[in-house]
Amino acid sequence: MSERDVGDALEATGVAVRAAGDEDEVAGVRPRWVALPESAEEIAAVMRVCAAHDLAAVATGGGTKLHWGAPPRRCDVLVDLCCLNRVVEHAAGDLVVRAQAGVTVEALARALAEGGQELALDVPVPGTTVGGLLATGIAGPRRFRHGTVRDLLIGVTVVLADGTIAKSGGKVVKNVAGYDLGKLFTGSYGTLGIIADATFRLHPLPAARAWVTATVERPVTETYGTWTNEDGLTFETLTTDLDGSLATMVPAVTESPLEPSAMEVDWPDVSGRCTVAVLVEGAAAAERAKALCGLMGETAEVAEEPPPWWGRLPEHGGTGNTGGGEILLEVRNMPCRLADGFLGLFEAVREAGVRAAMRGSLASHVFHVALPPDTDPALVAGFTSQLRAGVGEEARVVVLAVPPEAGRRLDRWGHVGALRLMHRVKERFDPDRRLSPGRFPGGI
Amino acid sequence: MDPELIKDCVHCGFCLPACPTYVLWGEEMDSPRGRIHLMGQHVEGTPITDAMAGHFDACLGCMACVTACPSGVRYDRLIEQTRAVVEREHVRRPDDRAIRALVFALFPYRRRLRAMRLPMRLTRRLRAFLDQVHPSLGAMAELAPAVPRSVRLPPLVRARRRRRARVGLLTGCVQGEFFPQVNAATARVLALEGCDVVIPPRQGCCGALSLHAGREAEARKFARRTIAAFERAGVDTVVVNAAGCGSSMKDYADVLAGEPGWAARAEALRTRDLTEFLTELGPVAERRPLPVTVAYHDACHLAHAQGVRAQPRELLRAIPELELREIGESAICCGSAGTYNLVQPEAARELGDRKAERVLAAGADVLVSANPGCTMQIAAAVRRAGKGEIRVAHTAEVLDASLRGLEPGILGRSPIRRRMP
Amino acid sequence: MSELERLTARLAAVLPPGAVITDPVRLRTYECDGLTHHRATPGVVVLPDGAEQVAAVVRLCGEHGVPFVARGSGTGLSGGALPRTDGVLIVTSRMRRIVEIDIPNRRAVVEPGVTNLAITEAVRDQGYYYAPDPSSQQVCSIGGNVAENSGGAHCLKYGFTVNHVLAAEIVTPDGDIVELSAMDAGYDLLGAFIGSEGTLGIATKITVRLSRAPEAVTTLLAAFTSIEAGGHAVSAIIAAGVVPAAIEMMDALAIEAAEAAVHCSYPAGAGAVLVVELDGPHAEVEHQFAAVERICRDSGAFEIRVAASAAERAAIWKGRKSAFAAVGRISPAYIVQDGVVPRTALPRVLAGIDRLQEEFGIRVANVFHAGDGNLHPLVLFDDSVPGEAERAEIVSGRILDLCIEHGGSITGEHGVGVDKARYMPRMFTGDDLDTMQLVRCAFDPRGLANPGKVFPTPRLCGEVPGVRKGAHPLVEAGLAEQF
Repeated sequence: MSERDVGDALEATGVAVRAAGDEDEVAGVRPRWVALPESAEEIAAVMRVCAAHDLAAVATGGGTKLHWGAPPRRCDVLVDLCCLNRVVEHAAGDLVVRAQAGVTVEALARALAEGGQELALDVPVPGTTVGGLLATGIAGPRRFRHGTVRDLLIGVTVVLADGTIAKSGGKVVKNVAGYDLGKLFTGSYGTLGIIADATFRLHPLPAARAWVTATVERPVTETYGTWTNEDGLTFETLTTDLDGSLATMVPAVTESPLEPSAMEVDWPDVSGRCTVAVLVEGAAAAERAKALCGLMGETAEVAEEPPPWWGRLPEHGGTGNTGGGEILLEVRNMPCRLADGFLGLFEAVREAGVRAAMRGSLASHVFHVALPPDTDPALVAGFTSQLRAGVGEEARVVVLAVPPEAGRRLDRWGHVGALRLMHRVKERFDPDRRLSPGRFPGGI
Repeated sequence: MDPELIKDCVHCGFCLPACPTYVLWGEEMDSPRGRIHLMGQHVEGTPITDAMAGHFDACLGCMACVTACPSGVRYDRLIEQTRAVVEREHVRRPDDRAIRALVFALFPYRRRLRAMRLPMRLTRRLRAFLDQVHPSLGAMAELAPAVPRSVRLPPLVRARRRRRARVGLLTGCVQGEFFPQVNAATARVLALEGCDVVIPPRQGCCGALSLHAGREAEARKFARRTIAAFERAGVDTVVVNAAGCGSSMKDYADVLAGEPGWAARAEALRTRDLTEFLTELGPVAERRPLPVTVAYHDACHLAHAQGVRAQPRELLRAIPELELREIGESAICCGSAGTYNLVQPEAARELGDRKAERVLAAGADVLVSANPGCTMQIAAAVRRAGKGEIRVAHTAEVLDASLRGLEPGILGRSPIRRRMP
Repeated sequence: MSELERLTARLAAVLPPGAVITDPVRLRTYECDGLTHHRATPGVVVLPDGAEQVAAVVRLCGEHGVPFVARGSGTGLSGGALPRTDGVLIVTSRMRRIVEIDIPNRRAVVEPGVTNLAITEAVRDQGYYYAPDPSSQQVCSIGGNVAENSGGAHCLKYGFTVNHVLAAEIVTPDGDIVELSAMDAGYDLLGAFIGSEGTLGIATKITVRLSRAPEAVTTLLAAFTSIEAGGHAVSAIIAAGVVPAAIEMMDALAIEAAEAAVHCSYPAGAGAVLVVELDGPHAEVEHQFAAVERICRDSGAFEIRVAASAAERAAIWKGRKSAFAAVGRISPAYIVQDGVVPRTALPRVLAGIDRLQEEFGIRVANVFHAGDGNLHPLVLFDDSVPGEAERAEIVSGRILDLCIEHGGSITGEHGVGVDKARYMPRMFTGDDLDTMQLVRCAFDPRGLANPGKVFPTPRLCGEVPGVRKGAHPLVEAGLAEQF
């Protein structure tokens, strides 16, 4: 079947379709068409054409994280959900909202604020849509208090590869009827289906917020020494240690009965100082923040506004988060493995000879690490394996974004325990591998 | 097995974690819910099989499930009825029959017990041999405490201050024979608190052991005799210091429900646990400091069957300088359970070991309990664990020491000290 | 010799002595869980003592094509652990070790038979607890909680089992032991597994999150003359931006039952009592308490009690937590329902339940988690009165219809099990259910794990990819459909 016929078939669905341009590339792969459905039914119509003509489809919302994940093996149709941009229902009395996939988190926040409520996440990439938030499962500082988007999602409507429209969950917070497809689709990078709309549980906007910030001049200290072996040979040694004040401050704050909502760190250059910031929310926020000050050393001070870097991913050289060359890694570890996180990063930077910026949650031990976009691809790969070795076996290092050249040289996902089951799930949902093929662990 | 009582169970399972045998084995049919289900099967026509009888026999009758049950299922009544049915309908293995016959020919009779004291002590040396013959015989030998000189109590102990009450005192068979000092302490405490204490000399067994083992006729006989003895003594309140005796005396009205005249006489007799009675009466005697750490053990027949948990703790806490510690899993039976440790020695031993571990973890100087069976069981388990002799005392002895201003060192020392390892 | 018999003969080889139950009298004690009107005597019961043993049994089931059902403490209220007469019941009550407590990392690793409350008891001294607290927490097992995604009174603020489980070792229906971890990249299979009611495998080791015990807890009991007034107070509390740890409501009939069972001494003459628990830092709780107290008074509370100690708090909760079983004191039989409605629809749904009571002459006691709209109507009946059980069953179903009409759910925490599978098509379309079953087919293409639960129609998964064999006998008989 010719390209022309396929284009006609897409046109025939009544969905707005245009030819793709350079700006529509998905991690370096250029689609042929861009479809702009306005409803779940229209997505389904596009997917049925894709099924009939064996077209591969990739969904996009704000396009802010389209370069995340591995490049798709193929991509014929980019399904742009920008037109599904309605907040369908905000039931303030029930603390729930249903929004279409193309609504940006900023627009959603504005709508909810009118009712004095919020989706208690700090989405770290501006312009992210509800669909993109779910597909990547990205989260911000308050993951410590409220969890990630999976914990706030209560219902979802998805369109499968064959055009089936299915929903799970509902619009009540408490609901265990049937499998929770929302969880399965969260963080699935568009490989199981296309999310059309989602329903979330909300929280009242806190009466007040306060931040406590403190700086640590040298989070990692190096000590030179000597070591003599059995044969009397003397070696120079270099040992690294986590700054003692940081090591004691973190558990003191996170385990404090003052219940901070988040504890974050910004470490723009691993050879320099870092800033720690703690968020307190509630009517007595100021009072609690003052009490927390006492746990955070001499530099601690209370602020009414967040530090400028709060709730944003680390950046390098002003490329922003949407730039093509973004190199971004996520490190997850057990909460008390703080030293491993800092020392592992410090040593990986030194060994690989790169520059790195780190930001993330001290409370949950989820950090993001950014390298400058112009970092040599070979060094990126070296840095990634150094980092994996340095943070320990229990930790996970995932390469969220990396230019294609560097991406080919490294393992993006790290250890995934249940990969075989994941393949089987993919086979059931998308047996012909038409949805974002190859973007996910194990080539899913 | 009253079908109406069985129907009260809604199968919620709240009794499971309270049941000692479920805690041990994790099997539905060895939980109260499972046993009630088995009773239901029997009512529906399933004959009592060996398996079924085994699960009923394995029940300690600790009644922790009665406390745990939100639906108010009368498991206590159900298991008593069931035991009677098992006794009537089920033919036990010959060795099992022999052991049961021995136990019930011995324990409810003080004179026979007294005669047995010496042989029991001797048999402790033969423990390993007896264990091989039958585990129950081994258990019996292991449990027997070294016996102090017998204490003879007068028929009346007068109030030591202005008289506030006149009560009867049940001396009990095991308590009376193996722990006579407890009865003496009880009488002294009551007298010091202003009570005339009447102690009928020929009161005999209250029937608790028989009742809890499904030997109905025997239990009724003992009940009638006990009621008559206290009626003759002219008291309307009987103070009891042994948990098992207290709980069965409180059930007399039910036990004798079918006997014209007796039910009303049973109703007329007020039975109170010592601690219950003292709390109701209120303290007047001076408590002197007793600098000692005690761990209080809830006897099932006190805590679960009679609901008496707060009173003993309250009395102990009121003693100056005494520190009270709680024992982990306090609601779980120690495995003594009347004659259980004699007829189900393996399970009883496991429970005893579990309890001993927690008692030792409490790290107190003295273990305090209100039941002679528990005391013997836990002391034996501690000995088995290689931790030597644990100091044990009855609540009455602790109160007695405080009221008389004795040194805490005497608690649980001399009378029960053993001569043999 | 049936496949089950052949399998049973091989069980002794993979299990320790005493772990296989075949005696018919014993087997029957496992015929139901907490929901007694569905009964089936299991073909055989096994009591494994570890993951390897569970896996070995599951592999044997696979070899013989015999279905298996997992059971924890047997307290479920939807018949999720209803055995199969032709299958194996795998009981986890002997797998009850707390494997590891790791306070610095705020987590504990436990076996599935450990009770919910046992985790809290193990860490309480260190100032931590396990947050989900189903009413049966003293007995229900963590394995069962994972299967049902159990909630509890405090999930309004703290969420459900799925929000507190960090990893699970599971035995898949193939008999493989697989680790599902929230740390790993890839699909959130852990999230999908939790709440799948034993149809995707059996959890054999569970890593749970431990929560820091709050600095302050205040429990308040407010008595209202009517359920409407209580409902108004709940709405006003939420509107004021307060998120209590729990808001529970009981109506007059439920109060009567609780009173009879545990003598909780709730205020006399109350048409409804509201239990509100606030927790968090002292300063916040003070603020919130002032607001809640004012709202309750403004909404017409005629008596407000505040628990000043842990013992008083326990006394207030005792009435609520024992309410289900306590209904046994005022009615020979009852059905516990578990519907959910958007909280703002509560007054309309309660009025609807009132109409049903009148229409069918059946009493309904209401106990509910008012904060999240999770209703537990207790439909009372006397099974010795002919026809009453049937009428109660109809009322119970109608209540679920009311919930669905108002945009709610047929189950908030008890699960679908065998009891509500038939209501699933009222809440979901065929496409919704088919899509859910794709997950089932991925994990358990032969449908051996807890078949007959959750989904109304068994679906056969076919081969992957695409090659279909001849028509399956079940399809021909019209008993099943094939993808």
